[in-house]
Amino acid sequence: MKLALASSSASVESARKQPAIQVSNLSIVFDTNRGQTIAVDRVSFDVAPGEFVCIVGPSGCGKSTVLNTIAGLEVPFEGDILVEGSRVYSPRPDVGMVFQQPHLFPWKSVRRNIAHGPRMLGKSRTEANAIADDLIAMVGLKRFADAYPNTLSGGMQQRVAIARALANQPRVLLMDEPFGALDAQTRAVMQDNLLELRDRIKATIVFVTHDIDEAIVLADRVLIMSAGPGRILREVAVKLPRPRSSSIMVEPIYLSLKKDCLDVIRAEGLRAFNQSDAS
Amino acid sequence: MQDGTSARLEIALRTDGRGRRPDSARLRRLNILVGALSLPLFIGLWELVSRSGTVNMVLFPPPTVVAAAVLEWIRSGQFLGDLLASLFRVTTGFIVGGALGILLGILTGQFPIISSLLSPLFHILRPIPPIAFVPIVILWFGLSETGKLFLVVWGVFFTVWLSTHIGVQKVDRGLIRAALMLGTPRRQMLQEIVLLGALPYIVVGLRTAVSISFYTLVAAELAGAFAGIVYRIEIAQQNLQTGQVMGGLATLGLISFIADRLFAALAERTVWWR
Ligand SMILES: Nc1ncnc2c1ncn2[C@@H]1O[C@H](COP(=O)(O)OP(=O)(O)OP(=O)(O)O)[C@@H](O)[C@H]1O
Ligand SMILES: [Mg+2]
Repeated sequence: MKLALASSSASVESARKQPAIQVSNLSIVFDTNRGQTIAVDRVSFDVAPGEFVCIVGPSGCGKSTVLNTIAGLEVPFEGDILVEGSRVYSPRPDVGMVFQQPHLFPWKSVRRNIAHGPRMLGKSRTEANAIADDLIAMVGLKRFADAYPNTLSGGMQQRVAIARALANQPRVLLMDEPFGALDAQTRAVMQDNLLELRDRIKATIVFVTHDIDEAIVLADRVLIMSAGPGRILREVAVKLPRPRSSSIMVEPIYLSLKKDCLDVIRAEGLRAFNQSDAS
Repeated sequence: MQDGTSARLEIALRTDGRGRRPDSARLRRLNILVGALSLPLFIGLWELVSRSGTVNMVLFPPPTVVAAAVLEWIRSGQFLGDLLASLFRVTTGFIVGGALGILLGILTGQFPIISSLLSPLFHILRPIPPIAFVPIVILWFGLSETGKLFLVVWGVFFTVWLSTHIGVQKVDRGLIRAALMLGTPRRQMLQEIVLLGALPYIVVGLRTAVSISFYTLVAAELAGAFAGIVYRIEIAQQNLQTGQVMGGLATLGLISFIADRLFAALAERTVWWR
């Protein structure tokens, strides 16, 4: 299968020991009608090839903004961002993105939605459809290949969005709260799905969420951010065995990891609360 | 399976053996029946009132007289000419006005600089009823066909322009960002995303423009013509042939109704993913 290619090149990459993503001193300032807002303040982190990093943090701390910047979606920023060793100026096909909303093209069937990327990169319709059909099988939507997005449930739509992002075989996959709008059960299923997929595609993944459980279940490393302005408070390495599934959430090591994270978050919450009280 | 049957049984028991389905089916049949009776009932009543002697039959002729007038109109050979003349004006005006509206709507919706240039002008011209342009159109074009087309094009254009403009502006930014992430070149964004995203709005604009093209047709033909359905209505009025006046009105109603229905069917197919 074509998707196996990504894994072999990822291992070549790791042999060179070059990070897949390097963010250094990233600051993002927005001009608003109430003056300037510092959305992100000197954030630095690296992501190794094939690594799965989760970013957690309260609403408005700049998680989406950071992700959009890495994606090359017009965000004014200072600092340096290198993806696969080169600077990012605009969206590039080796960086895929899954948004909080599926943003599927309503006028295209599931198959055509997924085939869109390969088509845009110059693949023939037959080739693109073959890629799409592989991915449709992978996300378990064979019965819905010819359905239109408005006939699918939220979870199914998000699966299509993930498949669509994978169709260009991205080396880096950015995911912005992709399961944020789903109910708890669907969410757990989707997390297990993603873990399974991830073992097959071996892409580098940066996953944003504000659910600490989701972050620990999925990630190799969790970056905890604080709000106003967005900074990285702490990095927590998640040394849980793989393959994993969401059932890991009852294990003692899992719970102690979660406690570590919650302590950081609680301390920061208190600090922010006292600060707002004082001013 | 077992569960499904027992649940259905339970519902059947609770509703006294009458599920919701049979009831709503009966209601629907009744509605269809009443709908089928609507026109005959109205025409019959009209016939009765006209012949009852309470109204002046010359001014308010019964449907039978109207039908006779229409038949006579058809037999004289004028009907076909009138129909074709009116249809030609409406369709040509609609197509030209619609095409211009879509084109300029895309331009102003997509390019802020073009919008800054044209939108203020269009917003000032748009609210003026096309009928108000009849005098100047006569000055400019006389009684020529160009003047009539101008009026229809004018009426259609602004409606289609505005809905296209809004449709293009309302295209989901998320779809554009998703398309960018998938490697869609910016110069292909128009055909891949923007046009399709705006399509539902464009179709609504065009459908509104169908009835507008008939309004403006009336103005255009009243301004002076040599053939056409509204022209014939005016001539009949001058000769006090009230039957033919009413026949003309009914014809106009019928063709604009058919046009609207045809367009609705077409629209459903155009926005195929709904
Ligand atoms: N285009 C913009 N113009 C002005 N301010 C912006 C813009 N985009 C984001 N911001 C500001 O930047 C900050 C971070 O926003 P961002 O959307 O990245 O937060 P987030 O962490 O993703 O939040 P959430 O969890 O709610 O999605 C917010 O204060 C927001 O108001
Ligand atoms: Mg966000």
